[in-house]
Amino acid sequence: MKKTLLVALTLGATATANMTMAANMDPEQSRQQLVDYFKAKHPNIKFEDYRLGAYNFSEDKKAQWEAAEEFPPYLDAIDAGEALYNKDKATYQKCFGKDVTKVRVMYPRFNEDTQQVETLEQQINKCRTDAGLKTFKWKKGAIAQLSAYFAYNARGQKIDVKIESEGAKKAFFAGQEFYIKPRGQLNLSCAKCHTYNDGRKARANLLSPNLGHTSHFPVFRAKWQELGTLHRRFGGCNKNMRAKPFKAQSEEYRNLEFFEAYMSNGIEIDGPGYRE
Amino acid sequence: MLKTKMKQLLTALAISTAMVSAPLATQAADKGANNIEAGKKLAFSRSKGNCLACHMVPGGNLPGNIGPALIAMKLRYPDKQKLYDKVWGKPDTLVPNSMMPPFGQNGILSDDEIQKIVDFIYTL
Ligand code: HEC
Ligand code: HEC
Repeated sequence: MKKTLLVALTLGATATANMTMAANMDPEQSRQQLVDYFKAKHPNIKFEDYRLGAYNFSEDKKAQWEAAEEFPPYLDAIDAGEALYNKDKATYQKCFGKDVTKVRVMYPRFNEDTQQVETLEQQINKCRTDAGLKTFKWKKGAIAQLSAYFAYNARGQKIDVKIESEGAKKAFFAGQEFYIKPRGQLNLSCAKCHTYNDGRKARANLLSPNLGHTSHFPVFRAKWQELGTLHRRFGGCNKNMRAKPFKAQSEEYRNLEFFEAYMSNGIEIDGPGYRE
Repeated sequence: MLKTKMKQLLTALAISTAMVSAPLATQAADKGANNIEAGKKLAFSRSKGNCLACHMVPGGNLPGNIGPALIAMKLRYPDKQKLYDKVWGKPDTLVPNSMMPPFGQNGILSDDEIQKIVDFIYTL
């Protein structure tokens, strides 16, 4: 199987062909091949730096990012998240345990009973519904603030998504399939931008590699002037592809998150992050 | 499908109105030049060709660098029809896993719009 990666690289072909073949392999091989692919493509980027996304490709932009991180625009949102947490503390502790530093790392995970991927945001709302509380709106606002609070408390720990059953494997490969399949009027796929062409520019936008994609979410985007969740970003990219976006927390996006996060295993959690 | 057809019709209409509003006398003589000008607009427009998203094109700002620069097109495509086919996205011109959208195949642009864009880039 190692051969497929080497062949793909020397032919100048990309990981997609290689990842399609990965469909009948195991997720860990798929992940290892992606890591090797990026290592060969960008020998100067250290594995742990993939949490910086597109900023790896521009000293200027990285400097701007560092400046933004000195007085991060998301601090108020973390405080708001903490206040939300304290307001319904007993409820959240019942769902997620007493230690706030141990919540972010649990998700995404595969629930064997429901045979579904669970994400942090989805579980926050489930926890609220089960306790008779009103759900938050998806994508931004309170849910992103609370998610940011959990991420902030988990900073420095590593992404560690586990795949230990056939069901989990299936969810991973459904996410992978979504990632590499061209869709929408422009015939684009996530892989075309974030695996084949990472480091290149679409207009003035440098494209990030998918390795490390989930490490720093939710994200404060200068463009949004607020926090947004990972699924908000997925929806935005789908729209840019002129493809119909799926609903936040749909099965499609949860599987996609499962795939994206598993591929980023071993990268430090760094959320909430700042992006242009 | 119907919706894209409608959209194409509407843009085709908008463009022909723009051309009709040019002074009648010059219209015939400048038809070629008009096509090139219209092609340039279509190529640069974000909602139309948006070629600058991926290609450096002389005269355009903030180009991406995913595809090759669109320069010396006559040299690279002595047969203009081949250039049209490439932008249209005829199956035999497709490069595997390429970002280049099949503009005609997927109904992103009408055949007429593609012709105008090709007229424009053929001058580069
Ligand atoms: C036409 C190109 C294009 C396609 C196709 C595309 N994206 Fe993006 N994506 C971008 C750009 C540009 C950005 C902003 C710069 C960056 O961080 O990569 C971005 C950002 C992201 C980010 C945030 C990265 C970060 O570091 O914060 C994620 C996650 C993401 N995209 C996922 C996806 C997924 C999943 C798909 C497919 C459903 C997809 N993208 C399809 C262009 C694209
Ligand atoms: C989303 C990215 C993207 C967009 C938008 C795009 N292209 Fe491309 N184009 C590419 C890539 C990548 C290649 C190289 C691989 C290939 O030939 O498919 C390419 C190749 C080409 C070629 C062949 C160049 C050669 O040297 O043979 C032509 C001509 C071309 N594009 C014209 C256009 C025109 C005209 C537009 C706008 C109407 C456009 N492209 C929009 C990505 C894009």
